[in-house]
Amino acid sequence: MSKRAVDMTFQALFTLTDLRVLLRETAPSHEFDTDQRVQAQRLLENLERQVGSLKQEMLK
Amino acid sequence: MRCGNGIEARQVDELFINIDPIQAGGRLTADAMKAVIAFGDGYSVCDNCRKPNRLDYISKPPIAEFHKDVAKWLNMDAVRTVPGARRGFQAVAHTYVKKGDPVLLTSLSHYTEFLAIEEAGGIAREIPANGQMLVTPEAAAAKIEAVIQESGRAPVLAFIDHVDYQYGNIHDFTGIAKVAHQYDIPVVYNGAYTVGILPVDGKALGADFVVGSGHKSMAAPAPSGVLAVTAEREKEVFRTTAITGDVTNRTFGIKEPEMMGCTLMGVTLVGMMASFPHVKERTKHFDRELANHHTVMEALLSIDGTKCLSEYPRKHTMTRINTIASFDKVAETHKKRGYYLQSALEERGITGVIPGATKIWKFNTYGTTRKQADHLARSFVEIARENGLAARGQIS
Repeated sequence: MSKRAVDMTFQALFTLTDLRVLLRETAPSHEFDTDQRVQAQRLLENLERQVGSLKQEMLK
Repeated sequence: MRCGNGIEARQVDELFINIDPIQAGGRLTADAMKAVIAFGDGYSVCDNCRKPNRLDYISKPPIAEFHKDVAKWLNMDAVRTVPGARRGFQAVAHTYVKKGDPVLLTSLSHYTEFLAIEEAGGIAREIPANGQMLVTPEAAAAKIEAVIQESGRAPVLAFIDHVDYQYGNIHDFTGIAKVAHQYDIPVVYNGAYTVGILPVDGKALGADFVVGSGHKSMAAPAPSGVLAVTAEREKEVFRTTAITGDVTNRTFGIKEPEMMGCTLMGVTLVGMMASFPHVKERTKHFDRELANHHTVMEALLSIDGTKCLSEYPRKHTMTRINTIASFDKVAETHKKRGYYLQSALEERGITGVIPGATKIWKFNTYGTTRKQADHLARSFVEIARENGLAARGQIS
């Protein structure tokens, strides 16, 4: 296991945290405006990349 | 979903607009949540603690710098972090109040100020608020004179809440401090509802001590807070230990007895530090918060029979209202009795009003977005109309 796996775990948790805050800011309907949709899209793509890196590190 | 044995994951602020009066200003920023993830372990900030082994000297994470920054931000000379504002009151009271000493506070003071005085052996003497629920310099002067008449001496200390917890009213702290200083009474500025919400300049206010609450108003985990002092008071409240063990001859360096040594040694401190840049910035934009609050207040006051018990127009986002002649009328005959209001609010994704309260209650809109404030306003009017109350508010 590597430092990279640890970093990716934290990065993914931080990305999820940003998504959590987005849910808070849009409660209770969670209807996103255009900017929020772009932000969510970016965060989810980052998360996918981070989880992908984690898979590489942890399951190699 | 559970996060531990029998512990349901808390999703209140993700699922609802939360207008709980004491929770609004303590909601964490994203950075504070990340800090909580990274620094959740017990003594997590102590990895790089080096001589002289005191919390406010640690440079990694930058705790020492944070202390200096907070002092500068509040325009005071020295700061310590404390486990909640109450521990700040306690440290000051314990330093200055001896058994039987009269201590000044107000008829709107928080109970923890009373307890701090009690623990130190002091006698609480309250400045009464006037009919508008405001504490004035004139009333402070009258009370000090009354205390002198009663006990032959002036109070040894005064606790004054700039914004009180009962009405969210803003009191003339500067005027009261000026009066107190004429009698050589040092004054504690209780900023539990201002530090982290509004700009606070301790010296301009005339405060000898500024106390703030991390979990109430600085977007920090509980229990956290700050105690800031002037240079004149620094060596008194933050005096260092002088004790020696008779067997071991041990001494304890520069630990401070009023702080019980180090104070916030983990997630509470780092959470407060992570939020700090955002908190500093948000105090400059309180007008936006107030605009959102006004939207909600206008809607509430458009409902026939609803009265604002706090000063009006509002200067703070925490407000006490009287709905005895509106929402409480409905409760008299509603099948859910007083719980219908909470139930109707929750159906609309709103929480934070005390369950069953339909007479006199408080709420705080701090931190809501424009859209959320509109939703709150619309919801109160809708609930009123659905229950047969007349409301002039627009539903957009």
